[in-house]
Amino acid sequence: MKPVTAPDWVLKVENLGKVFGNLSTHGIANTGPEVGTSKDSVSGAIVAAWDVSFEVAAGEALGVVGESGSGKSTVMRCIAGDQVATSGAVKIRTTRNEQLDIFSLSAAERRQLRVNKIAVVYQDPAEGLEMNVTAGGNIASPLTAAGWRNFSEIRGRASELLNRTEVPLNRMDDAVKSFSGGMRQRVQLAKAIANRPPIVLFDEPTTGLDASVAAGVLDLIRGLLEEYGLAAVVVSHDFSVIEMLTTRCIVMNHGRVVESALTDQLLEDPHHPYSQKLVSAARA
Amino acid sequence: MTQQIIEQKNVVLEVRDLYKHFFLHTIDSRCVKALNGVSLSVAAGEHVALAGTSGAGKSSLLKSIYRTYKPTNGSVLLRLDPETNVDLVSLTDAELATLRGTKIGYVSQFLRAQPRRSPFDIVMQAGIQRGMDRQTAKDAAAHSLQRLNLDEVLWDVSASMLSGGEKQRVNLAAGTISPPQVLLLDEPVSALDPANRESALELIGTLTSQGVAVLAVFHDIEAMRRLASRIIVLRNGQVDFQGSPTEALSNLEGVAR
Repeated sequence: MKPVTAPDWVLKVENLGKVFGNLSTHGIANTGPEVGTSKDSVSGAIVAAWDVSFEVAAGEALGVVGESGSGKSTVMRCIAGDQVATSGAVKIRTTRNEQLDIFSLSAAERRQLRVNKIAVVYQDPAEGLEMNVTAGGNIASPLTAAGWRNFSEIRGRASELLNRTEVPLNRMDDAVKSFSGGMRQRVQLAKAIANRPPIVLFDEPTTGLDASVAAGVLDLIRGLLEEYGLAAVVVSHDFSVIEMLTTRCIVMNHGRVVESALTDQLLEDPHHPYSQKLVSAARA
Repeated sequence: MTQQIIEQKNVVLEVRDLYKHFFLHTIDSRCVKALNGVSLSVAAGEHVALAGTSGAGKSSLLKSIYRTYKPTNGSVLLRLDPETNVDLVSLTDAELATLRGTKIGYVSQFLRAQPRRSPFDIVMQAGIQRGMDRQTAKDAAAHSLQRLNLDEVLWDVSASMLSGGEKQRVNLAAGTISPPQVLLLDEPVSALDPANRESALELIGTLTSQGVAVLAVFHDIEAMRRLASRIIVLRNGQVDFQGSPTEALSNLEGVAR
């Protein structure tokens, strides 16, 4: 037996690839960080992500960093099932001995995963919420999808969740579109944890918010990660967010993982030229 | 790969031929050599102080052991129990993360606490991480902060509001509450006034009697003379000299003057 073992993964991404368009014969070799482009010059296909692999355990947050266009969100969307991957596998462990390969599931089964296994918090609340629906109604939707039917129970759970994410309860019956950016994000968080999913993906969760509002949302996310022992993936180009929430990171550039490291090591001793450029830009 | 074994019985940390070279790709791929083959060992209950001029590699060594820097070559063996040791250099990131804070601790010169967290919470969480139950951790945190004379009105404010010296004491309190078996200290008292420095040094002094293996960097010779059981002098990223405090310090003063 090995003397030190990392906790078992809950989410495992294996050689994930996503190509938009038709790849030419040497399309993979002709794209990537060494070539400096994601575009296959022969066919015009975009290799948004290629050969991306990582594991995340319960109670652990993995950061995905890289500049815009590096493929961070594509990876996220493939895991969430918003996009169909071109190659590779995404596995989730549901019980100790049971794993699911999510690409082998039907569309209906994948939707069910989104109800109680994987939640996503998007940068733009409009992606994660129905803007014309009330805060309570938005939270009710994953609950009813999970089989909740009793009105007062749903309402009770919704107010409990809004309370947890610090949304004033007297706003519960207002349409989300009337909310401020920070409060919309809090409703998104309440919706994401409604069925206590083991895995939550955060795609730039505080980008675009005022500094003080972002700080509040970040503190809330940190609290939720600790309280629920979530396996989390945090996509962000903001190193202060990454430093605060994650213990390990991967760095993406032109669709590839160029470095994976402990978060403090990435910030103090980045190895790949691109990581060095990224870190020095952020720390200047 | 062959399993490397710590030979000496009471040694808990053994560094073997450790190299750390930085390749600065953004500056004409320059190579900065911080460590050039450092070997040393620290036993349980021993306090080893690292000395040497600025740039000699003292902090780089601590960071390379903790793997905030990823060593270029060599090994860092940590004894987990009498029968088992691991090479920190060859562990995966996720494996290493399980040992940090619990088996090996690092107290830096600066508090790297998460924003908007209170000193009391930081210290208490450190205790919980090392297996204390909540109540024990609470009591120990209070005791530890008191011992380092941190004013009680500051216990529940955001740690980022504190002064440099106050932050340093919080950092030290968090690092030494139910201390891990190996503790790396990087100038832990550099920002403290004489009175607070005194209580901090006293606290560090008690670590060895608890069986902790301490590897420390201090900028003042007085602290080394008082706490160290052995001093290792680094020069150009290599061990230049090691011996008792008296021997090493006379050697060092010869270099410094």
